[in-house]
Amino acid sequence: MKRRSFRSPISVESAGYHEERTGFITLARRARPGETLVEAFLLFCAAISIFTTLGIVATLGRESLSFFREVSFIEFFTGRVWQPAIGEFGILPLLTATLATSFYAMLVALPLGLVVAIYLSEYAPFGVREVLKPVLEVLAGVPTVVYGYFALTTVTPFLQGILGQDRVEVYNTLSAGLVMGILILPLVASMCEDALSAVPAALREGAYAMGATKLETSVKIVVPSAFSGLAAAFILALSRAVGETMIVALAAGAGPNLTLNPFRSAETMTGHIVRISGGDLSYDSIDYRSLFAIALLLFLVTLALNILSRKIIRRYREVYE
Amino acid sequence: MKKLLIASVICALAVSAGAQAKFAWIDPVSDDADKILPGVDPTKVTGTVVTAGSSTVFPLSEAIVERLVKEGFTGQITIDSIGSGAGFERFCVSGETDVSNASSKIKQTQIDAAAKLSPPRVPLEFRVGTDALAVVVSTKNKFITDATDKELALIFSTAAFWSDVRPTWPKKEIRRFSPGTDSGTFEYFVEHIFKKDKKPLLSAKNLQLSEDDNVLVRGIAGDENAIGYFGFAYYLENKGKLRAVNVNGVEPNQASVDANKYPLARPLFLYSDARIIAEKPQVAAYLTYYLTYVNEVIKKVGYFPAPADGMKKTKQLLADAMKGRF
Repeated sequence: MKRRSFRSPISVESAGYHEERTGFITLARRARPGETLVEAFLLFCAAISIFTTLGIVATLGRESLSFFREVSFIEFFTGRVWQPAIGEFGILPLLTATLATSFYAMLVALPLGLVVAIYLSEYAPFGVREVLKPVLEVLAGVPTVVYGYFALTTVTPFLQGILGQDRVEVYNTLSAGLVMGILILPLVASMCEDALSAVPAALREGAYAMGATKLETSVKIVVPSAFSGLAAAFILALSRAVGETMIVALAAGAGPNLTLNPFRSAETMTGHIVRISGGDLSYDSIDYRSLFAIALLLFLVTLALNILSRKIIRRYREVYE
Repeated sequence: MKKLLIASVICALAVSAGAQAKFAWIDPVSDDADKILPGVDPTKVTGTVVTAGSSTVFPLSEAIVERLVKEGFTGQITIDSIGSGAGFERFCVSGETDVSNASSKIKQTQIDAAAKLSPPRVPLEFRVGTDALAVVVSTKNKFITDATDKELALIFSTAAFWSDVRPTWPKKEIRRFSPGTDSGTFEYFVEHIFKKDKKPLLSAKNLQLSEDDNVLVRGIAGDENAIGYFGFAYYLENKGKLRAVNVNGVEPNQASVDANKYPLARPLFLYSDARIIAEKPQVAAYLTYYLTYVNEVIKKVGYFPAPADGMKKTKQLLADAMKGRF
């Protein structure tokens, strides 16, 4: 490798002039079967994920379609009871539980994540950052079932200890939400940190030149400049929270319950799917197809959130020279 | 022509006589406490036994098969846990299984369906034990010790507070835990308490349903205002955290179950057919082994043994089906 760098840049070999000897000059690329093969393989790999997604959408769509033939949209979106065994298909209790747990998760993850990101990007000395970042990533690598039991066996008794056992149920949305916040904290922190680090140093230096303190620079200059990246991070985190399954399945409760009381049990959309598919539900029953309708709604919510986050990045992106 | 006919009849007799030979798996030493059934040498049993049915019977059959394998059985026994109804479907309608596991008695329609199979099947009923449902509360709960089935119906449906059921109970919200709607336990409870109508229970507030009994145990144990029900086995496993409620003044135990006094108890059955038992020695061996040792494993599984005189009759029924073969 080293020797190549000493070569003249106008090397005959490197520019594709091999045909010179026969008297022709072709500017077309020489056919390289090996390369074509590798490229085809790479395309195949990329296509797999796309086709998987398409397959999932097709399955969800087909099963949901036959579900909505039997249950009207109005009943689905306005019903206040979800109990498939007696023909009650109102998504509201499941939806509110999902939104509630996600909200509590964001209450933890957003402020903490942002503060961690500001510290890592603006304050932390190089050595500290080199240690902290991998530690945060370890937090992200903990299996979610562990978080679920953490919520159930540590956070819930703690809440019960403070607020009383009468008020806090064994399964409750608050403890599930709080722990879920801890789960997505590293995601938020790392994406926010990326956004903050991308703000050019010239902006900071300009602020310092105007006499701003470090805190003023961070909060008033760097954070607003990175707004698009931060907003995208928040929304991605929200979509992660909406789709999170194991923690809510273990700790939030096992019965659809239309309540906004954080100390009560309530079942989220993902938690319900997990619980019902764990039983021996017969295929080709409306209960079974109702799971696909929930999954489709879940899919659409996360898809919308992801699209929104991309839009925000594009719309509010400030381009620095 | 006549000679040929006679020859074939003799042949047929010879074959059937061959089929009537003693089972290869007979062990001269029998462990049967009632001295009705022969001994089984598991190492000499070959072939497959196909069983399916109740998820309540499943852990019991599993324990029996585990023991059989430990003693040297090398064939194959499948136990599908698909519910009693689906089990009868496979035994009486499609005729796929050799033994059907059930936590409810066979229905006349199912017997009729079995008679139409070719060859026809006549289901033989072997009662192997009793499962009692336990209605449980946390050990922290000090106020409820017993409830009538009418009170249970209130507790598990419309009552919001405990005081709505009995004025002496505190005005605290009832938190309900029930096995999932697919489980036989749910079905049995609904059948007995609500006359098969799922609606009152499923419309109740503060209701949590789970197929995972540990979810129920945790939820009930941690909350003095919670109540739930599940198989007696799970209550026994968690006796330190839970307390069983007497139903109609009857405590669930062997005596009350034997006397048919405890209202939430149901018999556990195996069903097979005399022809299958005669033609498949491995099925005969499986059933013989099952009835011989079931009382030794049933308590570990968490159910109650079948009443002693009933067990003798059950063994006699199997012995009659295997007549002349041991």
